[in-house]
Amino acid sequence: MKNILASVIGVMFFVIAACPCNADPSNDALSSSQPPTTFKLVLSAKENPEKTTNPLDEDYHEDENLDEYANNEIKEERVDIADPLESVNRVTHQFNDKLYFWAVKPVAQGYKEVVPESARISVKNFFSNLGFPARFLSCLLQADLSGAATEARRFTINTVWGIGGLLDPSSGKELNLQEQNTDLGQTLGVWGIGQGFYIVWPVFGPSTPRDTVSIAGNYFLDPVAYLNPWSARMGVNVLDKVNAASLRIGDYEALKDAAVDPYVAFRDAYVQYRYKRVKARQAKWSSSPGPAETSVPANPESSKRGQ
Amino acid sequence: MKRHCLIKYLAIIVLTFLFCFTSPPAATAVGLFGAPQTVSRDDGGLNTAIGYRYYEDVYNDAADIRFRQNEVYSQVAYGAKNTWEAYARIGVADLKIEDVFKDNETFFATLGAKGFYTLNDQFGIGAFVQGTYYLSDFNDTVSRNKKIAIDHLWDVNCGIGFQMTLACGTRLYAGPYVYYSEAEMSLSSRKATLGYKAGDFSLENKSLAGGFAGLDIPLTKGFRLNVEGQYADSFSAGAAISYSY
Repeated sequence: MKNILASVIGVMFFVIAACPCNADPSNDALSSSQPPTTFKLVLSAKENPEKTTNPLDEDYHEDENLDEYANNEIKEERVDIADPLESVNRVTHQFNDKLYFWAVKPVAQGYKEVVPESARISVKNFFSNLGFPARFLSCLLQADLSGAATEARRFTINTVWGIGGLLDPSSGKELNLQEQNTDLGQTLGVWGIGQGFYIVWPVFGPSTPRDTVSIAGNYFLDPVAYLNPWSARMGVNVLDKVNAASLRIGDYEALKDAAVDPYVAFRDAYVQYRYKRVKARQAKWSSSPGPAETSVPANPESSKRGQ
Repeated sequence: MKRHCLIKYLAIIVLTFLFCFTSPPAATAVGLFGAPQTVSRDDGGLNTAIGYRYYEDVYNDAADIRFRQNEVYSQVAYGAKNTWEAYARIGVADLKIEDVFKDNETFFATLGAKGFYTLNDQFGIGAFVQGTYYLSDFNDTVSRNKKIAIDHLWDVNCGIGFQMTLACGTRLYAGPYVYYSEAEMSLSSRKATLGYKAGDFSLENKSLAGGFAGLDIPLTKGFRLNVEGQYADSFSAGAAISYSY
């Protein structure tokens, strides 16, 4: 009974990995008046000369003039994602939201009060250093040998001279070895696999079938996953998540408050963020012509546009 | 006048070297002492290091017992104003006595501090104190029913270092130190083993003084290489690579 209770409490803390972590507050929320199973993210209109189906565009005629101007100056691209599970996703989104406000945030705030910021940054560095295997493997699978070498050097230097990863000398001005922000989901994207449809996992938060591979892959590549007994593993994971949440209290709230429909806002933010990450990785890889990210196989509208 | 000073300080360093390496047998201490002057930023900052040292020493009770150890350690230090530094180390070491006793991977912790006084652009003098404690015991079964355990091994060292700054920021240093170390040894057999007494008894280092000398060489991008030799009963040597934040 005690074990079950402990595991339930532990799992609750994982919600920190959910909504706030991948959100980009700079994104605009889309209107909730959109079609229920698809939303559209305007990134490039060059490949989409036909009129958009977004009702918002019909309302703001002056924006169309701006778009005409932008067509000459800025390359834009439309990225779609299907949302066939929207009704379920909205429920899990709500669940994650409550979990964050009722459990994670209070604990993170208490932790923040007790632990000074420099110590929390050191803990973050430590867990980031432990994420080396996933990033290293992702770089290798993307044929990004320089990225893999950078990761290997970072890991060595931070482990040896960074007191087991608590400090991050590699990111300093002199060494300038920046962390490769990549994962297995991005690797699949670089290799041309589309993101599929939008899904919100309880506790883990926004994802897609492609990015769900990251959740599974990172689990097996995370050294913490091999800790025994399970209570120690759970404790370390909770520390990681609470510490991470304590360093970004307010981000989630800011995006949520700015959104008309938070669910749509987070979906927008998540998809755009992931899309940009994959594009960035492809750009790094583009010396050899890498396959472009296909958009959404599950979305027939995007298939028509050939994305 | 300047030339006269240089000759004087060089003479001091040479005499120190001679003192260190021709003095009667004495014990060595645990861990590199490093250059007297900190490698941290002038306005204060951390520096970290990883080091290795081969160490050989003679302990004495009824008979001389020669300890041999390989030590690997990680160090974090904070220093400022080019004048002082406090440091802590944690590491692992093995222990070998003659060809009979051998044990691996015992953790040790070291705390130390050093101060430095600049005489002029090239020369300076400093002092240090550091202590080490082994967090668990070494033990080995030397024959079927005979077991030796070395427990509560600790040491404390303090010394004086003379430093000369060479080209490209390389630092040459040398000096004498005094040292005390103690451990408890227990034999599980009633029969005499290796010529030692049975039961529990205390070991101390045979002599009290030694000498050390080393080089601290700047590498690239904030890294430095420190090589150091210590001589007493036997020669011990080690190297460390440090990084200054």
